[in-house]
Amino acid sequence: MLIYNPLMSSSNLIKIIIALAIGIGLGLMYGWVIDPIEYVDVTPNILREDYRVDYVLMTAEAYQKDFDSETAARRLAILGSESPATITANALEYAMSHNFTQVEVQTLQTLLTAMQTYIP
Amino acid sequence: MTRNSNLHIVFALLIGLGIGVAYSWFLSPVTYVDANPSILRADFKDQYRIVIAASYNANLDLARANARLILLGDADPVGALSAQAQRMLAAGEAFEKVRPLAQLATDLQLGYVSNPNTPTPLPTSFSTPEVESTVEVAETIIPVTEEAQATPIPTLFFEQTPLIPTFSETITPRPTSTINPVISIPFTLVGQESFCDPSQPALMQLMFIDSRRNQVAGVEIIATWNQGEDRFFTGFKPELGNGYADFVMQANTIYNIRVVTGGSLVQNISANTCTEPNGFQYLGGVLLTFQQP
Repeated sequence: MLIYNPLMSSSNLIKIIIALAIGIGLGLMYGWVIDPIEYVDVTPNILREDYRVDYVLMTAEAYQKDFDSETAARRLAILGSESPATITANALEYAMSHNFTQVEVQTLQTLLTAMQTYIP
Repeated sequence: MTRNSNLHIVFALLIGLGIGVAYSWFLSPVTYVDANPSILRADFKDQYRIVIAASYNANLDLARANARLILLGDADPVGALSAQAQRMLAAGEAFEKVRPLAQLATDLQLGYVSNPNTPTPLPTSFSTPEVESTVEVAETIIPVTEEAQATPIPTLFFEQTPLIPTFSETITPRPTSTINPVISIPFTLVGQESFCDPSQPALMQLMFIDSRRNQVAGVEIIATWNQGEDRFFTGFKPELGNGYADFVMQANTIYNIRVVTGGSLVQNISANTCTEPNGFQYLGGVLLTFQQP
């Protein structure tokens, strides 16, 4: 611990403060950039948006086969606390703005309609 | 500068380093916001596989299903699917829920869609007003024609990592026009062999093939004996064959095997005793082969 020493010159004090700041900077760089904490076992709510949308699309494709709203809603629920309709609407918006095929957009639209009318 | 002040500077640098690392690791670690599926928790990966299989079951797009499975980072995607299917069955899940997983594992093993007769859901009307009437879509919507169905699936929505390899059509081309046997045609026992293999003691192996000798997955079998009953299916060990299933027998127990589909019944199956040249005795296995006429 640095203790105030009246004999320490102000220039030395400045050097110590600068060294401390450099040390903190290096430490932050190490912890955030060079060797950041690696996450495993994450939950789907932090999936990158394109993966989330693809997951919703898969759910929509499956829904086209079984028309099981409850199963679809349960599958969407793992993506976060938003309602299944909101999750699907966000995915549909993404699909529209990223040149998804017409079939895929339509599939998502069908799921959205189902989720908007779904009552748990 | 004195030696003492140099020490102070080094000391301050080290303290700062420690503070910085502690802050970046414990107080404010890197926050993941754009995770990929490979770092999902195991149970979420299971859910992801179920959805992939359900999607595949609907669109029969094997290439896309495979690309999606690769995202999970499994060393052996087929093995992971099979293992999950078996875990679900063991947990008492209905076979209908497990079947898509087994089907996808089988098809990945085969490399083609093995059950093209499965009704493929057609997307609902292309000109559904909901989409057409959406303002944002108006500029980007491609006029819907018959050709639009065969338009290659763009991978554009995967901005950074192309998740889906380029492939030409949404629906995987069917390898041949051969119509797969309908599973409801009854199977008959065409072979029953006992074998001695110390590495597979008391193993009852069952193989189901169609009239063209193609293995058939998804056949439900019930084994009954005086103290109980077990129910299992072919296709959950694709590495041994899509029409393969097995069952471990107990000593001094007589089994009846019933093939649920078609109602074939094979009675009085038991494990024989095998003896090695050195006198070691163990229970042998039985191989039952069923075929559709």
